[in-house]
Amino acid sequence: MPEFEWGFTLVLLTNGVMIGLMYALIALGFVLIYKATDAINFAQGEFVMFAGFIAAGAADIFALPFWASALLSIGGMVALGFGLERIVLRPLIGRPIIAVVMATIGLAAVLRGVATMAFGAGTRAIVMPVSDEPIELGIVMLPPVQLVGAGISLAFLAAFTWFFLKSRIGIAMRAVADSQQVAMAMGINVRRYFALAWAMAGVVSALGGVVWGTMLGVDNQLALVGLKVFPVVILGGLDSILGAVIGGLIVGVVENFAAGYFDPYVGGGTKDFAPYVLMIAVLMLRPEGMFGRRRIERV
Amino acid sequence: MKRLSEAAIGLALGAAMFGFAAPASAQKEVLIGTQCDRTGPTQIVGIRICPAQQDYFSLINSKGGIEGFKIVAPEIDNEYKVPPAVEAYERQKQQGAVSMALYGTPQVQALNQKLTEDKMPATSPGFGISAAADGGRFPYLFPIAATYWSQGAASIQFAKDKLGGSLKGKKIAYVFYDNPAGREPLPILEDLQKIEGFELRSFAVPPPGVEMGAQVLDISQRYRPDFVIDHLFGRSPSVAIKEYKRAGFPLSKVLGLVWASAEADIEAAGGWGVAEGYHTMQFAGAGDDFPVRKQIKELYKAQGKEPPKEMDDTVIYNRGLLNAALHVEAIRAAIKANGGKKPTGEEVKKGFESIHDFTLDGLVPPLKVTAADHEGGGWVQVFQAKGGKFVKETEWFRAYPEVVAAAVKKAE
Amino acid sequence: MFHREAGVFKTSYAADMALYPLPIAKWAVAACAGLFIVIAPLTLTEYYVSILNLILIACVGALGLNILVGYTGQISIGHGAFMSVGAYTAANLVTQLGAPFWITIPAGGLMAALIGALVGIPSLRIKGIYLAIATLAAQLIIEWTINHVPAISGGVQASIQVPRPTLFGMQLKTQTQLYLFLMFFVVLAIVGTSNLMRSRIGRAFIAIRDQDIAAEIIGINIFRYKLWAFAISSFYAGVTGVLYTYYLGIANYEQFQLTVSIDYLAMIIIGGLGSILGSIFGAIFVTLLPIVTRWTLEAFGGVLFSQADLLNSISNLRLIMFGVLIIFFLVVEPEGLNRLWRNIRNYFRVWPFSY
Repeated sequence: MPEFEWGFTLVLLTNGVMIGLMYALIALGFVLIYKATDAINFAQGEFVMFAGFIAAGAADIFALPFWASALLSIGGMVALGFGLERIVLRPLIGRPIIAVVMATIGLAAVLRGVATMAFGAGTRAIVMPVSDEPIELGIVMLPPVQLVGAGISLAFLAAFTWFFLKSRIGIAMRAVADSQQVAMAMGINVRRYFALAWAMAGVVSALGGVVWGTMLGVDNQLALVGLKVFPVVILGGLDSILGAVIGGLIVGVVENFAAGYFDPYVGGGTKDFAPYVLMIAVLMLRPEGMFGRRRIERV
Repeated sequence: MKRLSEAAIGLALGAAMFGFAAPASAQKEVLIGTQCDRTGPTQIVGIRICPAQQDYFSLINSKGGIEGFKIVAPEIDNEYKVPPAVEAYERQKQQGAVSMALYGTPQVQALNQKLTEDKMPATSPGFGISAAADGGRFPYLFPIAATYWSQGAASIQFAKDKLGGSLKGKKIAYVFYDNPAGREPLPILEDLQKIEGFELRSFAVPPPGVEMGAQVLDISQRYRPDFVIDHLFGRSPSVAIKEYKRAGFPLSKVLGLVWASAEADIEAAGGWGVAEGYHTMQFAGAGDDFPVRKQIKELYKAQGKEPPKEMDDTVIYNRGLLNAALHVEAIRAAIKANGGKKPTGEEVKKGFESIHDFTLDGLVPPLKVTAADHEGGGWVQVFQAKGGKFVKETEWFRAYPEVVAAAVKKAE
Repeated sequence: MFHREAGVFKTSYAADMALYPLPIAKWAVAACAGLFIVIAPLTLTEYYVSILNLILIACVGALGLNILVGYTGQISIGHGAFMSVGAYTAANLVTQLGAPFWITIPAGGLMAALIGALVGIPSLRIKGIYLAIATLAAQLIIEWTINHVPAISGGVQASIQVPRPTLFGMQLKTQTQLYLFLMFFVVLAIVGTSNLMRSRIGRAFIAIRDQDIAAEIIGINIFRYKLWAFAISSFYAGVTGVLYTYYLGIANYEQFQLTVSIDYLAMIIIGGLGSILGSIFGAIFVTLLPIVTRWTLEAFGGVLFSQADLLNSISNLRLIMFGVLIIFFLVVEPEGLNRLWRNIRNYFRVWPFSY
């Protein structure tokens, strides 16, 4: 039996929660796109990477302060979101799922190539104006960067939940996701809402890119965090904002506990493994996740 | 649609026509095939090591080449994948290469049999197959720098020296990137554990190695070792340094093996201030203070250009110089031995095996490559990150050669 | 392939369903066979034969994936993992039992088929994108398992050296010999696939893809056939893995990671889902893309980039081209190169008349 130390467990837990909220930040973009346009975005990691590059590049080339480059990144990602929706997604409306999936996979390759060509292959740093020293609460150490990221995640959770429940635009988006034809019949401009959804996802990706970029540095390996998105959204439900956050928390905590308690026995690596095993279990038992909507197939 | 297909055929034919590569011409040229990874997971290394090789070849060419033969060194990016590496090998072989500078451990393993079949000598400094130190079993593969096994052994020796000459009862943590190359030193460490009597625990960092908070927490809070050996690649070394700092674990207790030890890693971790005290293992001299680097800078100035910024990362750049220099020396020896003719692969192999006492003023360790020992002795040197740069901490040393040799013999 | 019919004159069911409806079809196939099997290896230099070898291996894999994705409509992102299963099975059989290739290749395929069927079990309950993500998880879990179980992976290095296959006592070493060796299996795969698709199982697959609920209603046990699809497709993948191992002389799971699975998906999408010729076109296209990009850039690149930038740009451009082409084919020509080929064929079918 591994030594069950309370202190260590608490540290693992807090670390897991913090990292989980960061994963949630990436998953939010994915969920937004799926919720509004029914498209599975395999390029979510690359969105985050590209946003990070824009921020880091702007800070480097134009010597902009952090806030300006973050804003520039948001603006750039919104433009990218609009553009991508127009060029890539719109022609593929109504096509089978695999078409959209492959399109986003192709998009991922393009973004990686363009980013490296435009910004070079070296690792760039984003410097957030927060201190590097972790805040200590007893034995628990909270790095300010992760606190910022967690704060942003929670803020988005609140904002998007309100948005989809109460605001007019949000409700319209849900209508579009539910049934495009009926929405069009009710006079909703489906195309505009698609574009809006992708733009919003761009904003989320931009903030995610800035936060992750500060944590890890920006280069084309940053896109690999995108793979983590899948366990998170499967656990939480592909179209649930709350699910993205809760799913993220669970994945973060499970990973940390696996690394802390299982790794010594298996020779390491369970950290990567555990979320996917969990994911398969969820897929078998309750594919729509904890908060997702049950998909009913109509003949 | 039709027009599209016509255009596609035309383009394909056009491209194919230009693909008929001309073999190295009859003029006095030698072709050294090089591969690189500039866009894949180890690009942080590739974008610096490969220009260094090209720079060294240009330097030699500017001085008249190798015994009058001009060096042609085409470089192909294999993106750290195997099929492009195989295709690059075939292509450069067709162009008439006499030796190859390979890149990447899986690639070396995939091409190993072909090297012997085609009698093509190739180098894999600091990566590749550790057992290839045995020149008898791997006649055409030359690690020419400390293999992972030698690095592992040397790291234990360094820890021993740092901890007062004895490791009995001490705790050592081995943090490694969870892929075959990362695990390679493990058998050596376990052998040495039996001999020296220390406690060893290994911590795997799953690829891509950008998140290792839990492992570092475990090390700093629970295990609290006396020494940590970091065998990481790509982005993970810098992430590790950051995490150690965040967790408050002193970096002066951490030694990074050869691919966790570049200026680029320090910078990506947030700068020299963050990494103060970090020990790094090198197989080529680090720093700017070498005549060959000055010569390369002068070469650039003579062409009216600034020295490339890749030179700023002295650790990785110098390794490229080492690799290139050893190729040049091997070919030089081969040409001298065959009386001034263009050498064949076999002759260059013998040229490699005759290298000794070539140190490029300290950039290259005192290698002694023989037909039996393609590693050259397993020399490493440790530098420490102090006050904004790398400070030499030890001289060239090698450790536990008997243990490493036994492992080489035992390997299949 | 190249023929034009003047009308339908079949007099029996057998004649109607024959693989080669007209004598000229047989001649066309024989000519192709002659070209690729006899002329190509003898006239091309070793470098080009080596490229053809890479393409041949990819063909087998693409055919397998098309069976699952193109004909049965199940998305799978785990193809690479099944290849590594096959590769390691064969490698272990060779190094531990000294088995010859005509045992290891089927054995590798069978082992991969078994694992493939296991991975297909979730398809009972989940469909579409969920199944795709499950296969993604399978890919990563299989990789992890091979990495961490030395009994499979042959030790810490996770790669097993394998000697070249021997045929009648002669070891196949040169590219040309390997070419003929691989070509045999590609022909086998093509014949197998086309016969499979004309059989009852193949029709069941297509029914599942088109309307699985209707298929279930008329009595097709869709779960069983889905498992068959996974198993057969993984068999092909396993064989691809073994062929790769023999070609390179080494089995290493790092060659079969997620990027490879995505490459194969790209092959069948670009080539054309649900067609044999499409798989082959796709395999040729995706394998040649980086090589041709490099050739073109080496020839023309001096115009656009400086020498140093050029080296950095080549693989980035390759990535960009890869992505752009996938999107392009999805948007403009969803049925891929196969459709383009059919358009060309149909044009010549009634040429010189226009209809």
